[in-house]
Amino acid sequence: MKKYQLGEFEEVVMLTVGILYNGAYGVSIKKEIETRLSRKVSVGALQTALKRLEDKGYLKSREGESTEERAGRPKKYFEITALGKRALEHSKSTRDDLWRAIPKVALQVKMAG
Amino acid sequence: MQPPKLPHRFFRWFCHPKLLKHIEGDLLELYHDRRQASGKRRADLDFVTDVILLFRPGIIRPREIRENLNRIDMFGSYVKIGWRNSVKNKGLFAINVTGLALGIATCLLIMLYVADEISFDRYNINAGRIARIVLKGKVNGEIIKEAVTAAPVAAALTDEFPEVENATRLRRYGSPKITYNNTTFRNNNLAFVDPDFFQVFTLPFVKGDPDKALVEPNTIVITEDEARKIFGNEDPINKLLDFKESGAQYKVTGVIRNIPANSHFHFDLFASMEGLAHAKENNWMESNYFTYVLFSASTDFSVFERKLPDIIKKYMGPQVEQMGMTFEKFTENGNEIGLFVQPLTDIHLFSDFDGQSELEAGGDIKSVYIFSAVALFMLLIACVNFMNLSTATATRRNKEVGVKKVLGSRARQLVYQFLTESFMATMIAVALAIAFVLVALPVFNELSGKALAPDYLLRPGTLGSMFLLTVVISLLAGSYPAFFLSSLKPVAALKNKISGGRGAKGIRSGLVVFQFVISAGLILAIIIVTQQMGYIHNKQIGYDRSQLLVLRDLALLGANENAFRNQVAADPRVERVTMSAFLPAGPTDNYMTGVYPGNRFEEVRRTIVYHVDAQYIPTMGMKMVAGRNFSETPLHDSRNVIINETAAEIFGLSSNPVGQTLTTNLEGGKKEQLTVIGIVKDFHFRSLRETIAPLMMVNNPHGGLIIKTKTKEMAGLIAALNERWNAYRPEEPLSYAPLDELYNETYVAEEKMGSILRIFGALTIFVACLGLFGLVTFTAEQRVKEVGVRKVLGANVMQIVSLLSRDLIVLVVISFIVAFPLGYYLMNMWLQDFVYKVEVHWWVFMLAGAMTMVIAFFTMSFTTVKAALANPAESLRTE
Repeated sequence: MKKYQLGEFEEVVMLTVGILYNGAYGVSIKKEIETRLSRKVSVGALQTALKRLEDKGYLKSREGESTEERAGRPKKYFEITALGKRALEHSKSTRDDLWRAIPKVALQVKMAG
Repeated sequence: MQPPKLPHRFFRWFCHPKLLKHIEGDLLELYHDRRQASGKRRADLDFVTDVILLFRPGIIRPREIRENLNRIDMFGSYVKIGWRNSVKNKGLFAINVTGLALGIATCLLIMLYVADEISFDRYNINAGRIARIVLKGKVNGEIIKEAVTAAPVAAALTDEFPEVENATRLRRYGSPKITYNNTTFRNNNLAFVDPDFFQVFTLPFVKGDPDKALVEPNTIVITEDEARKIFGNEDPINKLLDFKESGAQYKVTGVIRNIPANSHFHFDLFASMEGLAHAKENNWMESNYFTYVLFSASTDFSVFERKLPDIIKKYMGPQVEQMGMTFEKFTENGNEIGLFVQPLTDIHLFSDFDGQSELEAGGDIKSVYIFSAVALFMLLIACVNFMNLSTATATRRNKEVGVKKVLGSRARQLVYQFLTESFMATMIAVALAIAFVLVALPVFNELSGKALAPDYLLRPGTLGSMFLLTVVISLLAGSYPAFFLSSLKPVAALKNKISGGRGAKGIRSGLVVFQFVISAGLILAIIIVTQQMGYIHNKQIGYDRSQLLVLRDLALLGANENAFRNQVAADPRVERVTMSAFLPAGPTDNYMTGVYPGNRFEEVRRTIVYHVDAQYIPTMGMKMVAGRNFSETPLHDSRNVIINETAAEIFGLSSNPVGQTLTTNLEGGKKEQLTVIGIVKDFHFRSLRETIAPLMMVNNPHGGLIIKTKTKEMAGLIAALNERWNAYRPEEPLSYAPLDELYNETYVAEEKMGSILRIFGALTIFVACLGLFGLVTFTAEQRVKEVGVRKVLGANVMQIVSLLSRDLIVLVVISFIVAFPLGYYLMNMWLQDFVYKVEVHWWVFMLAGAMTMVIAFFTMSFTTVKAALANPAESLRTE
């Protein structure tokens, strides 16, 4: 378990980066999460998460083009590294294992209740 | 489209530089989108929220490395290392600090003095707008310079010129006896002033109304001290003071605070001029009133001054004509008379009216300049020492600098290190200097005749300038070693490849030359001042002032004057006695009148008149050039006069003076014819700063006695005189003074300047020598091995001594080339003050040079001889 540290929000961010593929940078990630998950994402939270993920080696970045709205500031595009991919897979498989371990009855009762 | 400025700037400030660019880009892009979607307000608000939420760890820039260092600790280390270094070089450090402390102390003392001198009369709120109207001119070849003007000048100025807001007059009245409640008070300094005097001068009232106090005649305003002296604890207001001598009675209508020490007048009582008939006369020919004008703001004094000649012509012209000469003729004869404006704040330092005409003996701007220059020199020399010794000793610390650099010191830290050290030394020096000042202040007060209090030092201005001085000196003195050493390459420093550098040696030589320019210049100045003072003391002044005793106020004896004189003359210890209160030196009765030869009024000259008797000339040891002395019976010679050589020349009587007639105008327009019976050799009766003026003696003995004694035992004689005096029961005790003392008092200002110059000159030279000593000690230390080798190879002591001092002696000689012309020029300017003065001979320069050389050589010999005598085995043993 200790092998891959990935928080919930971090996982969402990484997945979104994956979804956006070549177009993942601050604003686009933020908008994507907000539309898909209907939740507010502050620039601060997003950037902190991105920095942390990059520090962990799950994401890598490259400097991209800039636009007029950005007053000449370049975009920073993110993509998932191999290590990041493994961390995501690890996270998903752990969840799946957990899902599978739940007895069917428990869920049915719940659904019935 | 710009987001709100302040949060944006805040973000830029705190954001980590690596993240800044793209996060800022994101923020701007978002702002742009939101602005278009939901308007400015919404977008601004969201922007601020985003910025605030961005302010979190991970985004905020980390503190930089250098900011992490505890600088206070580093300063602790600088201080510690600095202290260890000073302890290691105790001798040099002590020289350094003492020299600097002496320099600063001198500077502080002189600063106090100068500040006091230039503060004169500035206590007046309108000081900048007040000026005194003075009289200058030339009448029949005589230069007239009077601080007083005629009575109607003030009124005329107020009438004629709108820029004159107020013109007020003051007339001094000596010190009358004042009686209150049957008690008599003496030594009161009285002046008559116009009622608006206190509107011009800022002399605050403790009691009474400044606007109304002197409006009535026979009213008087007194100072607090005077009120305490006369009335004690009583309320002085509306009390009556009797002036028995004039029979007048004055009502006290006001009490003012004591007049500040830095004022150009100090009166105890100010009586109203309203009662003074003379003050209302329209007489432009007689000058007795000090006239002060308060100008409206922004009046240009020099512009105003140019309007004054018209006033003279308009008002004085008619009165000149009444005396039998048109004003045009008066000016055609080469005569001129004019009123001039003297700013109030210039009176103390720039006034050059002679002692009789000025209210109080003032200061002298030349002394202020000279002292300021000495203070500056002293400080510069001390700083130069400090720099020289710091650079010299700092080269020993190459290794320390090298090691520090290798271990990661930044250049800036080394600069701090050296600056801290020089700041420490300066602080110690300043503390020492303050101690010196406190100790020396009483002595200095005595020398300078001031009453400077130590609390002067605590004024914010003084404290501020002291702090500034500390910073400037430490920067000045510490900057060279700091910036030179901190820039060394560590490898070179460790290999000891730098030995102060050629540049440093050049600078040091330059500084030594500079110090000795000042020292040699000062020695020259001291020699010339001493010579001039000696000249004054020994000058043939035309009379013999030794063994002369002056007795004053003989009038107190009334009718017993002559009896007392005869008793004194009978004393075996007395050689001669003359009855006269006219003295050629010191305070004296003073009388001047216009005199002209025959009937030629156009040749009138103001002439000093001495009231003497037949014994005057022999008693004073004066010599007759022609004619005869007065006869013993006064009545016999009542219309005869003796004149001095100058008067004979001016009146054109040189060839055959005896029997010629002189005319003098008496009061009420009457004329008196006088016959010249003799000519006395010129004698000096003013200071040697002035030329001899025409003088006339008349046979009219009264007022005082001058005694020529023939005893060394003066105390016994004075006791006997006192006894005789008291036998007549006069109101006051006998007052006497040796003429020699009175003569010397005339030159008190010069004497004071001389002694201050000598003391500070000696101190300056001492400090310069300290520096030289330090420097030669250092050189000797550096060359100790060379000296050892030379001794082993057979050099003798003289050769070693000359080896070590040669370089510095050359520098001292170079300094003469600059010092002597400069010193000669400046001292010549000082001598211009004196009409009678010494010549500056070539040998003075030789003497000054030789003295400087001897002092320098002697200073160095302490070290050089020691180094030369040292056993070479000691110095060569270690490597």
